[in-house]
Amino acid sequence: MPADLLLLSAYMPRLLEGVAITAEVCVIAITAGMILGFVVALLRRIRFPPVRWLVVGYVEVLRGTPLLIQLFLLYYGGPAFGITLDAVPAGIIGLLLYTSAQFSEIVRASFTAVPAGQIEAARLLGLSRLQAFWHVQFRQVALLTIPPSANQAISILKDSSVLSVITVPEITFETGRMVNETFSVTAPYLFLALSYWAMVIVLSAGARRLESSIPR
Amino acid sequence: MGLITANLPQLLHGAAITLVLTVVSVALGMIVGAAVCGLQLSTSPIARGLGRGFVSVCRGLPLLVTILAIFYLPPAFGLNIDAWPAAILALTLNTGAYQAEIYRAGYMMIPPSQIEAARILRMDPWQIRVYVVAPQLLRLVLPSLTNAAVDIMKSSSLVSVIAITDLVRVSQQLVALTYRPVEIYASAALLYIVLTLMISGLGQLAERRLGMGFQR
Amino acid sequence: MSPALKKIGDGAAVLQLRDLRKRFGDQTVLDGIDLDVGQSECVCIIGPSGSGKSTLLRCMAFLERYDDGVVYIHGKSLGYSFVDGKRIADRDVQVDHTRRGLGMVFQQFNLWSHMTALGNITTPLRLARGMARAEAEEIGRKMLAKVGLADRADVYPARLSGGQQQRVAIGRALAMKPTIMLFDEPTSALDPERVGEVLDVMRQLAADGMTMVVATHEMGFASEVSDRLIFMDEGKIVEQGAPKTVLRTPETARLQQFLGTWRARQADLFIQ
Repeated sequence: MPADLLLLSAYMPRLLEGVAITAEVCVIAITAGMILGFVVALLRRIRFPPVRWLVVGYVEVLRGTPLLIQLFLLYYGGPAFGITLDAVPAGIIGLLLYTSAQFSEIVRASFTAVPAGQIEAARLLGLSRLQAFWHVQFRQVALLTIPPSANQAISILKDSSVLSVITVPEITFETGRMVNETFSVTAPYLFLALSYWAMVIVLSAGARRLESSIPR
Repeated sequence: MGLITANLPQLLHGAAITLVLTVVSVALGMIVGAAVCGLQLSTSPIARGLGRGFVSVCRGLPLLVTILAIFYLPPAFGLNIDAWPAAILALTLNTGAYQAEIYRAGYMMIPPSQIEAARILRMDPWQIRVYVVAPQLLRLVLPSLTNAAVDIMKSSSLVSVIAITDLVRVSQQLVALTYRPVEIYASAALLYIVLTLMISGLGQLAERRLGMGFQR
Repeated sequence: MSPALKKIGDGAAVLQLRDLRKRFGDQTVLDGIDLDVGQSECVCIIGPSGSGKSTLLRCMAFLERYDDGVVYIHGKSLGYSFVDGKRIADRDVQVDHTRRGLGMVFQQFNLWSHMTALGNITTPLRLARGMARAEAEEIGRKMLAKVGLADRADVYPARLSGGQQQRVAIGRALAMKPTIMLFDEPTSALDPERVGEVLDVMRQLAADGMTMVVATHEMGFASEVSDRLIFMDEGKIVEQGAPKTVLRTPETARLQQFLGTWRARQADLFIQ
């Protein structure tokens, strides 16, 4: 065990680098994925059939297939379409698209949770369609999405470990590399588990603070 | 097109393995989930702590990390575990933890007055569980259970990293042979969507059979 | 379009309905309604559920498009314009302009859950009337005082009782200085002990001379406050007149039956 710990401290800079990459990739993918998810949810409200089919197809394909396959298609299949990406950008884009589909469903559910009567009341009180949408519907949707998005963000953080398979040097990948190079197993996996645990704690604490600011 | 038809038998074989992994882990996960849910609802604080601990560890860790840890950790202690048992164990623990939460949420939805009523009618605790709680619980949790099954089916793609020849692993092998990542991975994605539709279709069928909407 | 429709607004009626018709699929919900509501008149509409009361009120506010006939507000047709005898749908802006003087109170209150009681009242003043915050808040507080909720200004709807929510909703509508108020079963979603406080506010409003159309199940209120009582069934106005007359000497079998069931239920409640 002391030998394990010595190795661990020797690898610590690389492992911490991995933690940093996980954090970085997740922050970008979750932020951008949520914005894109909102746009997708809004597009899904358009009744024009071709737009509808396209958007529903986008969401269902991304939600009906494993992230791993999506990453393979993007990373290894991309070059066939002239899209050659390095592992990190491919990982970020893959995770971002995946997030957007998951998140768009949360937004869609939130839209149905705002009673139609509240919008009718707004229109009757003289608010324009746009004002009613923005001040009554959109703001409530934004608030309603916060609690489920927090859970979604935590689940995306865990899903980001899959990026190691396409060689993104995040924490799972760096841990695997250390295991391969040193044959030390227990300490690196313990460190890996603890780092995810710590990141989940940080994320949920942030989510709780955000949630407590929602007016009730 | 010829490429896909030529490789279809292997892909279908991979899909079958994915399906077997799903069915076995969902079934075993029901036992684990029910047991853990029982622990969490127990009156003993130790049992409750154990249940909560199990759920938070299994849900707090990325599934990929669980898979790697179960496969690579025991050999470090002189125990050998084959890929298949490791894969089934990891998937079972993961879905078991999620199912425990589903059962708990379902149990909370059964009005306590019903159980009190049964008690006043002199039913013993096991009779109450079998005749009052279980049938309602099954109907209440079925939609969430279907989602959990779809989730674990998609997540089972991760066991490809420990060389189980599921749909993803087979696709990787075919890509290595044919150098046609787009066609192969897209076909695999399509097969995943078919599997997703199959499972959710089965879930809906079961919901109808059990007379969903018995409330309201 | 019948020639009668062309003659609009003789000045006496502020709200006029002419042969109003509405279908949902193959079900006729409004089957030719004619109605004139005069200045400061309080009209109560009673009738079994599904008789079309709610749809009638929703058509008056153009929350529901009507299929045929017309609604006039202060002599202006609402939702459609008539050019050479043809009916043309108005644009949103025109609809908003025509129904500017209309206030409506809903069964489900429809307060905006993410705004305080005061915010619910000031937001439309600021957005639709372009009022400054200070001015809007002054009016808002005045309205809350009027409905007896001066101390609840900063409370969110979820923390208010149903009766309080409905009073805020009434205050919100009144803040826009409507000339006609529509009430769509304003007390039906309330606990019995909360009904009185809302009816009190409405009673005061009627006494102040507000023009009101009220769909309700509260027979006591209807007979005491309304100037005219209307009984609707199956999308038609079956009987109307002075409330005491209509309630004491119902002419049709349908109204007799409706009042019979109502009395039986009252008796049950009384015994309990």
